[in-house]
Amino acid sequence: MNRVVVTGIGVVSPIGSTIDRFWSALVEARSGIGPISVLPTERLTTTIAAQVLDFEPSQHFDAKREGLLDRFSQFAVVAARAAVRDAHLDISEEIAPQTAALVGNAAGGQNSVDESYYKLYGQKSPRVHPLTIPRWMVNAAVSQVSMDLGIKGPAYTIASACSSGTHAIGQAFQLVRTGQAAVALAGGTEACLTVGTIKCWEALRLLSADTCRPFSKTRSGLVLGEGAAMVVLETRDHAMARGAPIYAEILGFGMSADAGDIIAIDPDGAARAMRAALVDAKTNPQDIDYVNAHGTGTALNDRIETIALRKAFGASAERLAVSSSKGVLGHSLGAAGALELAATALALHHQIIPPTANFEEPDPDCDLDFVPNTARNAPIGQAMSSSFAFGGLNAVLVMARA
Amino acid sequence: MALSDRDVRVQTLDMSDDLEIINAVRSIISKSLKIPVERLTPDSRLDELGAESLDVIEIVFGLEEKFDISIPFNADEKKRVAIPDDSGEMQFSTIGDIANVVERLIEAKAGR
Repeated sequence: MNRVVVTGIGVVSPIGSTIDRFWSALVEARSGIGPISVLPTERLTTTIAAQVLDFEPSQHFDAKREGLLDRFSQFAVVAARAAVRDAHLDISEEIAPQTAALVGNAAGGQNSVDESYYKLYGQKSPRVHPLTIPRWMVNAAVSQVSMDLGIKGPAYTIASACSSGTHAIGQAFQLVRTGQAAVALAGGTEACLTVGTIKCWEALRLLSADTCRPFSKTRSGLVLGEGAAMVVLETRDHAMARGAPIYAEILGFGMSADAGDIIAIDPDGAARAMRAALVDAKTNPQDIDYVNAHGTGTALNDRIETIALRKAFGASAERLAVSSSKGVLGHSLGAAGALELAATALALHHQIIPPTANFEEPDPDCDLDFVPNTARNAPIGQAMSSSFAFGGLNAVLVMARA
Repeated sequence: MALSDRDVRVQTLDMSDDLEIINAVRSIISKSLKIPVERLTPDSRLDELGAESLDVIEIVFGLEEKFDISIPFNADEKKRVAIPDDSGEMQFSTIGDIANVVERLIEAKAGR
């Protein structure tokens, strides 16, 4: 089996769309959560989100192309281009059929849906834009990535809500490890900040009115976000042969289903995915130094995730550094796992543990080392990035320092 | 314990409003939890009735639709709700609590 490494990272995020800006905001716990400004808010109760504010589509696409891409596809293509550039990768005619593209996504082209339904129901228009379906379909983003970069190998979308990005990178890891692909572009994208989707989230009563405070006693719910992250995965041999920079090695991938509640996270299901990832990585709990947690900032998730970490790591949980990036990035659903995997790879690369932002007060129910507010220089040999989705679908990756 | 202003206000509401509201609350909870309405009293607690979090948000939605009000309920603070334009929070545990919250929000909407 091949060893698999991360050689390129591309992000479009609420804290910037270059790796330097992304990483420095994570390390400095500078939150990308702010007042909603990309939407009319008069019918919303929610006033905050983690929006991508510096994204100008015309800088990336000519007018004809832009019209074909919903915002979630634009994010994916821009992140994928950046990852390929970062990896100094040339997707030649020879390598294109051996290159895979896997994109995680939860909600599809919600901006296109919202616009067309507003015309239909709101303005009573008899027709919607003819390109609504090719913009909206949940596979549009991965199709646009493959078209834009000339990727001709295995390509598909993975939809597992908040775990989509992690599932996509995990599947890409397996394709490269087993030799079904030599190179893979993998990650997640989400652009779900529309009046319609936010109203639906409000109805679930899980959104914070304040900000996202993972693992803090004062946490008050999750904050929606948007963005994309794509990484380049390739065999270690392929990367070495072409002298590519290596951020980190992916060692293992674990998955599980809770077969329980449609909303609530289950400690056993989450712990099983973590254990499966450790087994797949042929490593031990005591060898993991850092966990980038799911940490949504809801009362339930953070309490149960703490229990799950203890179940998976046993006594080694005491020496773990655990942080959630969602205080900085918000929760971008299908993109979240990919953005967090990128953060974990950068943590291994820089040997710095990014903190849990907006942390105010320890919670007796969340009694691990959550690296509150201040980054930590620490040797990180191996790290874990975990996602636990609505519907009980869990995905966990284990990585090592390159 | 001394009565707060709000308690006094609630107690002086028309008795028929009071009954109508609590019966509507009982009926919505009865449908959602599949419990005969006769078994639901003002002292019945949602958690003791076996309501899970999805049941509770459906009950909240049912009350909002029935009375055309917005209940500022957050699943993370499920035992209390903060009343807008009011000084405090109100309990949200028993059927009686919920009826009080609905009454208060109807009053607030009517500008009373």
